[in-house]
Amino acid sequence: MSSKEKKTPSSTSPCAQLRAAYHDCFNRWYSEKFMKGQWDKDECANHWQKYRDCLSQHLEDKHLRRFLEAESGQIDGAATGRNIRE
Amino acid sequence: MVKVFTQEHVYKHPWERVTSAFWRKFTDPENQQVLTYILEVDTLNRTLDPESGKLYTTRAITIHAPGPWFICKLLGQDTCQCIETTIVDARSRSMQLTSRNISFQRFVEFEERIFYYPHPENPNEWTCCRQETSINIKPLAALASIKDKVEQHLVEKTLQNSAKGRDVMERICRYLEAESS
Repeated sequence: MSSKEKKTPSSTSPCAQLRAAYHDCFNRWYSEKFMKGQWDKDECANHWQKYRDCLSQHLEDKHLRRFLEAESGQIDGAATGRNIRE
Repeated sequence: MVKVFTQEHVYKHPWERVTSAFWRKFTDPENQQVLTYILEVDTLNRTLDPESGKLYTTRAITIHAPGPWFICKLLGQDTCQCIETTIVDARSRSMQLTSRNISFQRFVEFEERIFYYPHPENPNEWTCCRQETSINIKPLAALASIKDKVEQHLVEKTLQNSAKGRDVMERICRYLEAESS
């Protein structure tokens, strides 16, 4: 029962490489800038745009697409999730 | 009736390092071998408010959620989609996130709220993590006879996965500490 083949995320997502590049950039920016009081700008905008464009093309789940397209700053922990019904 | 339980942990690392570790937990490839229940993590939205120093993030987390045969039979699939929303307030040094399932909502509402904040007695060196989990199994006829078993299974899985997550976080913190010295 537990011997099912586990999907390897990086080999199935078409956006995996762009995602990894973005996450690397973000992790560096977060530790080296954001955590040290430099929050005037997000320095990973370039990586983010490429990754996001890929998700826009490949993300099929319509529930998830809503979050992708949601306006920034309107994401409220209390409002998300529960409004999305199957 | 909603089942609610809380787990607390102290990381003997500064808040900045612990939250940095948090972002690496699901994205660093070497952690996948430990956190086997995480299949896919995508960042759907991220916004920085440069005036307040707040960072808002929404992520989609796909988890592998196998269960006893009666759960598999009921659900028909063993992956579950979750949405995680996070607010990091760099100015006040606080981080809170909420994670909830969007799959299987007609059967169960599973929600975790996690808070990372400087330890009151040692705010510069230690960080507290408080994790509140609530499990609400819907009053459906199909679930009536197995409700308790399902709930127990979810509680056990949560505790197991949380423990793995903490181990990974501690390891990443040690790595980041070594890197910075």
